[in-house]
Amino acid sequence: MTKKPLYGDATSQAASRNHGGWINQLDRARKSGPFLDAHPMDSMGMSTKAVHAGTHDDPRTGAVGTPIYQASTFILQEETYGSIEEGFGRDRFIYTRYGNPSQWAVQEKLATLEGAESAIVFSSGMAAITAAVMALVDKGAHVVAASDLYGGTYNLFNQEFPSLGMSATLVDSYDLEAIEAAIQPNTQILYFEVITNPVLKVVDLPALVDIAKRHNLRLIVDSTFAPPPVMKPLELGVDLVVHSASKYLNGHSDLIAGVVCGPRKLVDMIWPRLLNYGGSLDPHACFLLERGLKTLDIRMKAHEASATALAEFLETHPAVEKVLYPMLPSHPDHARAKELMKMGTGNVTFFVKGGDQAALALMDHLKLPKQATSLGGIESLISLPFNSSQATMTARQRADIGIYPGCVRLSVGIEDAKDLIADFDQALNAISTMKGAA
Amino acid sequence: MRNSIPTAALSEFVNEVAGDPEEGIMSYGIEIDWESGTRARSSTKPMLVGPHKVSRSFTWKADEPRQLMGNNHGPNPQELLLSGLGSCMMVAFVAGATAEGIQLESVKIDFDGELDLRGFMGLATNTPVGFPEIRYTMHVTGDGTPEQFEALHEKAVKHSPNAQTIINPVALSGEIIITEIED
Repeated sequence: MTKKPLYGDATSQAASRNHGGWINQLDRARKSGPFLDAHPMDSMGMSTKAVHAGTHDDPRTGAVGTPIYQASTFILQEETYGSIEEGFGRDRFIYTRYGNPSQWAVQEKLATLEGAESAIVFSSGMAAITAAVMALVDKGAHVVAASDLYGGTYNLFNQEFPSLGMSATLVDSYDLEAIEAAIQPNTQILYFEVITNPVLKVVDLPALVDIAKRHNLRLIVDSTFAPPPVMKPLELGVDLVVHSASKYLNGHSDLIAGVVCGPRKLVDMIWPRLLNYGGSLDPHACFLLERGLKTLDIRMKAHEASATALAEFLETHPAVEKVLYPMLPSHPDHARAKELMKMGTGNVTFFVKGGDQAALALMDHLKLPKQATSLGGIESLISLPFNSSQATMTARQRADIGIYPGCVRLSVGIEDAKDLIADFDQALNAISTMKGAA
Repeated sequence: MRNSIPTAALSEFVNEVAGDPEEGIMSYGIEIDWESGTRARSSTKPMLVGPHKVSRSFTWKADEPRQLMGNNHGPNPQELLLSGLGSCMMVAFVAGATAEGIQLESVKIDFDGELDLRGFMGLATNTPVGFPEIRYTMHVTGDGTPEQFEALHEKAVKHSPNAQTIINPVALSGEIIITEIED
């Protein structure tokens, strides 16, 4: 009888049985993965990892790169049934909601880039966030989170949590004393965004890690605004990192995806939530995300170069009140940004003189940036918080989180800086001459 | 998953604790508030699994039957003691069976205990206050051999924290904090 191939991670095997023993004789220990093949890349640079990690050439045809495994289900064999019985079904291919080689390829790439043992991709950032949060809370749980969270995450805590008998206290992510004071006996997690939207606060992650440890809590961070070339929160002691992969990770504004990265122990606890809530990522979307990730490092360098030049230009323009870019000395968190961020990103927030009307006019005069929400794409995207991301808030609520009239949210793409500067120059000059403008 | 327990995860946890004993320290607590008469309400406090906090939002009530001056609104403390003992032995038995690859069909433990209230009442000096003996019968159906089940039964008792707490002397240290009623 020929030995049948194993469909999955061959390094994952059942605990061996020692009849008459007790559970201390079970010998299966936790390890990184699940991965298609051994592919150690620890000593490699970010761009090498982005290109090669997780990408396994097709062993049957020699085709270079990960094939698109557009299959919903997989051939079951004796070995697969055994994996389910023994409780390591995550390490085998069974059904695409459980796992698919296209997902595994991009998960291995993302885990390698984040320095994580394991990762799971989801059909959206919110699917990733919901599964990660729900994996780490229990009946009656409480969460302490930032008051200026992304709206989708805010809705999870504000709309869904009370229906599930859980609660959240939202506090200013700068105010470490308030964060600590908000911790209750039933608090299980701290949830923060490493760089906030839209005022680009750089959160004091080492302090949050310290608070979480002292109070026996898990710390989950959303690192969408700081992909791995910028920050690797797991290295700072964070428990789990989530991303909307629709932004910098994919980088081309052409798919919706999310990811959770972290230790195998915690990611294995999230996997059943993926199965139950169902936000699995389609193999074709995995292919697009994997392809986008290969240029993550060089894209980030281009975003940073153009954003830095444009932010410096905006700071000098008389029609601009204020510019927020963490890598500029004028940003209130510049010192922390230099400490925690390896490089800048494409996100620049600025305030035009003349308030929201002037900001609206500015967008209409711009030719290159697309007037659209989202960020992290190769094309510059521009929007105003007052009528998009923070439209449900009152002017006062917006002001409380630093969104004053005239606030413009800009995600600088990889266009040439001189073209962006010329475009902003003409648009700002046009609104400066408008009647009533400052 | 055999018996709805993931053997792989159980094995991984055992191996994790072997390498990092702190992950194996469980801290529990409950609070008991007197409600009325012999009735009291117990609530779980947050638990620590290793250094990680787990919310435990559970409450239950204990009471005595009317014959013992109560209102029979809940199981009494002796029944809760047997319940805690038996449920713990059940976890150990099922975990052990799973680790050994035994598929269980049904497991039932039937407990009986008898105590002499003269001890509680202070009527007789040589009567034990507590249970002098706790008897149980375990009913099992599954694909293990009789020898395997016998051995498993023995190991389940040997590794059950609650069974071992009852069998062995345990330090019970307490204090009382008195708040005076203000006029």
